[in-house]
Amino acid sequence: MINSLLNIGLAHFLILSLILFLTGLLGVLISRNMLRTVMSLFIMSVSSVINFAAFGYYCDRSMENANMISVFVLILAVIQTIIALVILYKIYQANEYLDAEKIKDKEN
Amino acid sequence: MVTNLIYFYFLFFGIICSAFGIIFAPMMYLSAISLFLFVCFSSLIYLYLNSVYLSVFQFILCGLFLSVYIFLLIKKIGRINLRLGLAPFSKILVSSVFVLLFGGLFVLYFFQEFDSSLYSFFNAVVEKSFDTVNFRHYLYPLSLVGVFVLVSAVVLRVFLDNSLSVEQPKEQEENKL
Repeated sequence: MINSLLNIGLAHFLILSLILFLTGLLGVLISRNMLRTVMSLFIMSVSSVINFAAFGYYCDRSMENANMISVFVLILAVIQTIIALVILYKIYQANEYLDAEKIKDKEN
Repeated sequence: MVTNLIYFYFLFFGIICSAFGIIFAPMMYLSAISLFLFVCFSSLIYLYLNSVYLSVFQFILCGLFLSVYIFLLIKKIGRINLRLGLAPFSKILVSSVFVLLFGGLFVLYFFQEFDSSLYSFFNAVVEKSFDTVNFRHYLYPLSLVGVFVLVSAVVLRVFLDNSLSVEQPKEQEENKL
């Protein structure tokens, strides 16, 4: 047990990635503010990038494939976040708040 | 060896704490600061994995651009000191149980499918990735992606502006009536 904690390998990064993904999922489920939901989605994207980078380091020593996929995933994550922020800003201009439950109540 | 170990666990707990900070921060500006720390820690993790390009790319794109953009946006809408609320306790409990179940099922599936050995999983991945590509060849398409993003953001903004300006007069007329 202690030996596996001391010898850092791919499993450590997979565990980190899994914890981050689950944290992001929890954030999406429990936060009422939509800005924080967008940040939680970003956490989930970064967890997948860590996964790719770790696989690249431990499996593919040339790092070319992993880096390329990681950069694409990262760009997509940033695009998604920025587009979501623009939409949220417009929602805020129309409603004066970003609380998902209030907006849902208003629609009903 | 020991320094390496301490460095890894520092990053490990730093990145998890900052992720929890984003979700459970009581104030909006604390959440934004946690996001910046999260980006910094994840960039250091990539450095640990020898992905220097990725690390610098993430730090510039997310740390110096996205975090600052979010911070300015919060400031612009005057919600920098906004108290953030979470969902009701029952919903948090049910969500936590769901997330834990999901994580447990994932780990169980992983170990059952790959016979408790990560080695067979690595083999499955490595055997399927015969093709090697030169990363430099993909810099040109990446720049195209950047241009495409900017164009789509401008188009989206114009579209949203128009839709908002059409909706507002209608609402004003309804209020007058």
